[in-house]
Amino acid sequence: MSLPQQGASKQRTKKPKATRSVSFSLPALPFPLASFLHPLRSASSQWLVLPVLLMVSILFRWAVGLGSYSGMAAPPMHGDFEAQRHWMEITTNLPTKEWYWHDLEWWGLDYPPLTAYHSRLLGVIGGMINPDWFALFDSRGSDDVALKTFMRATALASELLTYVPAVVIFVRVFGRQADLSKYDKGVALAAILMQPTLMIIDHGHFQYNSVMLGFALLAVDCFITDHIYWGSFFFVLSLSFKQMALYYAPAIFAYLLGLCVHPNINVPRLVLLGATVIVTFSLVFAPLAVFGGREQVAQCLFRVFPFARGLWEDKVANFWCATNILVKFRERFDSGMLQKASLVTTSVAILPPCLILFFNPQKRLLPLGLAACAWGFFMFSFQVHEKSVLLPLVPTTLVLAGSLDKNTVSWVSWMNNVAMFSMWPLLRRDGLQLQYTVLTLLYAWLMGTFEHLPKHWFGKLVHVGSYIAILVTHLAEAFFFKGPLREYPDLWVVANVEISFGCFTVAWMWVLWRLWKESRKGRKKPKRE
Amino acid sequence: MDKFHPSLRECIIAATAFKLLLFPAYKSTDFEVHRNWLAITHSLPVKEWYYEKTSEWTLDYPPFFAAFEWVLSHVAQFFDPAMLDVRNLEYDSVQTVYFQRLSVMFTELLLVYALQKFINTSPESSKRSAHAVALSILLSPGFLIIDHIHFQYNGFLYGILILSITLARSPSARLYSGFLFAALLCFKHIYLYLAPAYFVFLLRAYCLGDSIFQIRFANVIKLGAGIIGIVAAAFGPFVYWGQTPQLLSRLFPFSRGLCHAYWAPNIWAIYSFIDRVLIIVAPRLGLPVNQEALTSVTRGLVGDTTFAVLPEITPRKTFLLTLFFQILSLIKLWTNPTYETFLGAVTLCGYASFLFGWHVHEKAILLVVVPFSLLALKDRRYLGAFRPLAVAGHVSLFPLLFTAPEFLIKTVYTIAWLVVFLTAFDALVSPVAVNTRRFLLDRFTMLFIIIAIPLIAYTSLFHKALFGDRYEFLPLMFNSSYSAVGVVGSWVGFCWLFFSS
Repeated sequence: MSLPQQGASKQRTKKPKATRSVSFSLPALPFPLASFLHPLRSASSQWLVLPVLLMVSILFRWAVGLGSYSGMAAPPMHGDFEAQRHWMEITTNLPTKEWYWHDLEWWGLDYPPLTAYHSRLLGVIGGMINPDWFALFDSRGSDDVALKTFMRATALASELLTYVPAVVIFVRVFGRQADLSKYDKGVALAAILMQPTLMIIDHGHFQYNSVMLGFALLAVDCFITDHIYWGSFFFVLSLSFKQMALYYAPAIFAYLLGLCVHPNINVPRLVLLGATVIVTFSLVFAPLAVFGGREQVAQCLFRVFPFARGLWEDKVANFWCATNILVKFRERFDSGMLQKASLVTTSVAILPPCLILFFNPQKRLLPLGLAACAWGFFMFSFQVHEKSVLLPLVPTTLVLAGSLDKNTVSWVSWMNNVAMFSMWPLLRRDGLQLQYTVLTLLYAWLMGTFEHLPKHWFGKLVHVGSYIAILVTHLAEAFFFKGPLREYPDLWVVANVEISFGCFTVAWMWVLWRLWKESRKGRKKPKRE
Repeated sequence: MDKFHPSLRECIIAATAFKLLLFPAYKSTDFEVHRNWLAITHSLPVKEWYYEKTSEWTLDYPPFFAAFEWVLSHVAQFFDPAMLDVRNLEYDSVQTVYFQRLSVMFTELLLVYALQKFINTSPESSKRSAHAVALSILLSPGFLIIDHIHFQYNGFLYGILILSITLARSPSARLYSGFLFAALLCFKHIYLYLAPAYFVFLLRAYCLGDSIFQIRFANVIKLGAGIIGIVAAAFGPFVYWGQTPQLLSRLFPFSRGLCHAYWAPNIWAIYSFIDRVLIIVAPRLGLPVNQEALTSVTRGLVGDTTFAVLPEITPRKTFLLTLFFQILSLIKLWTNPTYETFLGAVTLCGYASFLFGWHVHEKAILLVVVPFSLLALKDRRYLGAFRPLAVAGHVSLFPLLFTAPEFLIKTVYTIAWLVVFLTAFDALVSPVAVNTRRFLLDRFTMLFIIIAIPLIAYTSLFHKALFGDRYEFLPLMFNSSYSAVGVVGSWVGFCWLFFSS
């Protein structure tokens, strides 16, 4: 296997100046995404990479947005689109003290305050364009086409202001630390921005995950540029936008704690970090307490952590749901017992990455550490949604900014393909079949899924096996949907969950193994800086 | 592995993915037009094709296109037979949309084939430029806006045109170039505008020898018989049934006005603009103002345009002007019948008919952009003339899509295309000595491109905020006048290059 970028990086470490001109004449990496960036590799057209990638990202996101969204024309409850719209309705029309209390049966607000402020801002802007969109009570379940366009625009703008700059900075800094050539950095950036899962959930299904992920990623950007206090600030913002960012919290905590004890114990740093977190949280919750009264904070926290709900809602490819065909957890155990079991198993699952990060608080381990920790949560924690797979998936994809060898590309693209597949039941319900098919195939093709497999025989086996299983499931569903298997409509969902669970387990193990190997690598070699 | 990256194949895959995502996008009445034609050709005997008028969108393309719809309709019945019912007006089930949109993408593969042929037949030294040009045509915002959103079948028609132009490159294949063009005319008669260049070129370079008195009779007979055969195959049955007058009245509806709905960016757009300005200035200059015209031009939408101050324009005048400018380029082609002069003459015929023609559609700009693209990388001066056309030609298509969700698609796609290809062309084109570069044109181009930004912002955002629904004609008028300046500017530049070289 010839790896041009590795060759380049080897040469670069020897004589950095000469390689610059050499890297331009490199052949394109053997996958189509790299081929598209090939014309832009010369020094005179390097400046084009970022604007062109941004424009292409915008175009694809917007084109996905032309399609349906969750709950479109689906009374009585509609879906996540209505939830987001409804929050704009209540935050613009009601006093702060009613935000977390108002008619909780109809998509009551159950996200932290930053989402509430974000909704209010967007609601105010939208109300200036058309007040009917967010009229109290009257606007419920609105399917206005102009409203859809407005909401799509807000999702795009929110992503462009948070997630996209965070990714751009990340690739720049992380790629530099990993000695990637400019061309490879462009390819990595394209691969991350064109990731189909986030695109279809935020701009198809409709949510603002990119804001939460963007803040979390900005935190990582700060950590890898040694701004640990700013990093904690941004991570708190991420948590206060969507509680799901908690999937990353143990890993980040372990990393920061590790920084406070390595190479020697640094108490002021620990105190300052704690203070940053507390002050940021206070700032975020302050408006809620000031305008709504102190009990709002308690109600907000009560709404945000839904322990009253079950182990899972829809079918999701995690441990509990996948093994449910063997053990009927929800029937055999009570909710409290299951909560404890989930807490224990999650803690065990996230322990290895946290320990690795604590003992090796190295920047280059951050993406893998976050991914491993989030996979642990996804597999074992309480109330997991199929969309939550974005949390482990995004940092896993970020690994591309560190190495673009065929093996990594193959694994990362495989995980994205499987993750797309795991969301198929949700996307089908949303009426996004076309977008699902196009984005999955496009990304798989762009990343060379059809051409390259991992080096190891086990990887080859898993990839080929899972692709065949996915294909068979889709074909069987398409052709037997109305046939003899009509009486078992859940069959496809169960098959989906089992296949995805198997793949996610392998993905999780791969991330853990990779994290372990990376953490050992640093020990043998002396530090590069 | 392909020689140049990204390859044509890679681009068509990525573009196809994007176009598939555009399935739910806005579609114009042309969608219903083509659905209706599918229904007509599928359910009625051939004799009635040009008489059927249940829908207002009657069949007004030549017989080959009708036959093409007939072929498509045989596939369409497997998607949704209901779309093939003539009385099913405005029918657009999901299957119908999928089928029609897919048919555009599928037939566009002919364009890909033609472009591949164009690259293959280019001399080795200019293969890289040819590749860039081919990609620019394949990914052109023109085809994206007109074919894949607005809805038409230009992709495969321009594929035939490019194939025909490519064949004209080698002397041995010129016969087939002529045949293909004749067939193209039987698909869509708008290409008649380019016919004079073909006529002169084939006559001079294929039918006559080195001296004009040396007639190659064998060639004359081959070409003549072939073309007559093709045209007879298309029109013969209808002539035989005595439907000629009906067919002609459908193909050439002369009752339409000078300017089409949105004012194509041509001389008449500038003419109307000056007329509007004169309405304000005329009383001070003591010029007579036609009061009737005051209301008509301001609408600026469909219908007849009457001028308030400037003299009226008749179809006859536009025809003579078009012919005059076409003949100028044909004289040059007659004296110098090479492939490149031919390509230049085709471009100039397109320019003349677009700039001076009667009832020109903004979509017809592709008649200029596509042939010019093939020449744009000849040297830096050609590229200089191409730039304003690339900007103006595509900006002028924006009013075709007026719905909010498509705004981002059309603007961002066009800007991305312009940025990528104009810089790529700039890097590829062979430099020219400084003194032969015309700085005036370069400066003009720069200024022109910069003005596009506030213009697009005004027409699509600020106008609505400032005036609401009033003065609807203003953004359209600004848009077409601006684009007209660009098209005319590039035409002047191109004429100079063509006649001075």
